Amino acid sequence: MECRVLSIQSHVVRGYVGNKSATFPLQVLGFEVDSINSVQFSNHTGYAHWKGQVLTAEELNVLYEGIKLNKVNHYDYILTGYSRDTSFLEMVVDIIQELKKANPSLVYVCDPVMGDQGAMYVPENLLPIYRDKVVPLADILTPNQFEAELLTGRKINTEDDAFKVSVMDLLHKMGPETVVLTSTDLPSKHGDQFLVALGSQKIVKPDGTSTSQKICMDIPKVDAVFVGTGDLFAALLLAWTHHHPKDLKAACEKTVSVMHHVIKRTITYANEMAGPGKRPSPAQLELRMVQSKADIENPAIVIEAKVLESSH
Amino acid sequence: PVTHSWLATAMECRVLSIQSHVVRGYVGNKSASFPLQVLGFEVDSINSVQFSNHTGYSHWKGQVLTADELHVLYEGIKLNNVHQYDYVLTGYTRDTSFLEMVVDIVQELKRANPNLVYVCDPVLGDHGSMYVPQNLYPVYKNKVVPVADIITPNQFEAELLTGKNISTEKDAVEVMDLLHAMGPDTVVITSSDLPSRLGDRFLVSLGSQRHVRPDGSRTTQRVRIEVPKVDAVFVGTGDLFAAMLLAWTHHYPNDLKTACEKTFSVMHHVIQRTISYAHELAGPGRRPSPPQLELRMVQSKADIEDPAIVTEATVIS
Repeated sequence: MECRVLSIQSHVVRGYVGNKSATFPLQVLGFEVDSINSVQFSNHTGYAHWKGQVLTAEELNVLYEGIKLNKVNHYDYILTGYSRDTSFLEMVVDIIQELKKANPSLVYVCDPVMGDQGAMYVPENLLPIYRDKVVPLADILTPNQFEAELLTGRKINTEDDAFKVSVMDLLHKMGPETVVLTSTDLPSKHGDQFLVALGSQKIVKPDGTSTSQKICMDIPKVDAVFVGTGDLFAALLLAWTHHHPKDLKAACEKTVSVMHHVIKRTITYANEMAGPGKRPSPAQLELRMVQSKADIENPAIVIEAKVLESSH
Repeated sequence: PVTHSWLATAMECRVLSIQSHVVRGYVGNKSASFPLQVLGFEVDSINSVQFSNHTGYSHWKGQVLTADELHVLYEGIKLNNVHQYDYVLTGYTRDTSFLEMVVDIVQELKRANPNLVYVCDPVLGDHGSMYVPQNLYPVYKNKVVPVADIITPNQFEAELLTGKNISTEKDAVEVMDLLHAMGPDTVVITSSDLPSRLGDRFLVSLGSQRHVRPDGSRTTQRVRIEVPKVDAVFVGTGDLFAAMLLAWTHHYPNDLKTACEKTFSVMHHVIQRTISYAHELAGPGRRPSPPQLELRMVQSKADIEDPAIVTEATVIS
């Protein structure tokens, strides 16, 4: 496979978030990964302490210039995630626009990280940049429910809201052909031990008309806070949509199944390390990434996606 | 797929690797991390620089980490009480204050874990000349090598560190003994000008490992490896070598012969794959460019996991 990804994300010395979370799985699946580290921190910010340095927008531009001067600025995919800085995000947008001119087939996979559970955890002034500049360039978008609501200005209270009041269609209209709502508060038919994820992919038929495949997944909840799982999700969705470009059901089943295996292995190990009756620490809850190599390479499908009615 | 004992059980082995990061290509941490992770090692990585690509391209741009910034990152790890490592791995450095901070960190980590193994590639130069600032030499000689457990100098670096020239295999053995006396129990001279018994399409590498027997007496295993020469300049191969020697000495701690056979064999597979691909890309009669010669790392995963042995090590007295 000759497929080159440019991933612009955080680097942590220890643990698995940002580029540390995305790179290994993509490399294991045979992708060439070029990585620009937007920060270098000792560990993620959920630990008691964290220390490190950030890359400025100008420094990002300098790195890109180096790639460009050598005429190796050709990518099949770009992948971005958590950003805290508006000027950095705007530089990312400029770079993507230029890379899309160099390769019009480039696919931009964007996790529009802004917040969760009703609250923003990035500066508020990132929202207009995501809404007006980033999302319009994205081809695949992985918002959670809160981020989808923020971007569209609509609330999702029922599955109908997501599809019929067309939050997904509003997101498609903003740019991306593929949207996966990675988690929602929607009630699952399987009960409250499950959360609902939704996906929608616009497909243009040979006759020029467009249709969309809409899917729904019931995902077992896990009683722990993980960090880096969103980054892993976006990277895996990149990989599996690459292998199943017109089959969102298959791509999502593989992605979500890998997530399940990694999370299960992680929580088991974390509980072992913490000891009975003790809540595992952030250090103990780091994803068991290298130990999950076989699952990443060849995931056993443990979650089925249901195809909902197609619409035009 | 065959499951091998070294892959079947989840290994709990954490490496701290302090090396360069390049956005594109495989040198420094980019060269070392993936193979170690594929072999089941947890790799914590401190990027000493972030450059667009290695400095053999026409252009390169980026930023360096200062000694102070290195210290700040280490402090973060320490404050969280997660500064327990089984291995430290270092390679190319251009800055004396950075290198001295690395030494301080290694010393502290060794206090936290006395069994820590420091794998050090003492990158100073090659083919008779230094390609790092001269003032790094005393830091390596007086501070770094004494805390190293495994070192991977080339012939030039081995001669520089010991002040002794290598013209014969006997010289090489003496130089390796001198290096042992400076600190490391395991020394691999990654390449030399010594004539190979297989002819001039091969170069000679040598290894020496000192053991202390239960009764306190010392023994040394020495090996010679004939390595096929390749007509190309690769970058990042030394970094890959040190990472793989870390991995294979971990699995064969008392058997340098096997550790070297695996390490040199992996190198061979990666390099062969790389040169084939580079020539394909360059086209007939053309010399491949630096981007075309980037190691075919992700494509070599299976060889990294389970290298077919293609280079034999001979035990020498």
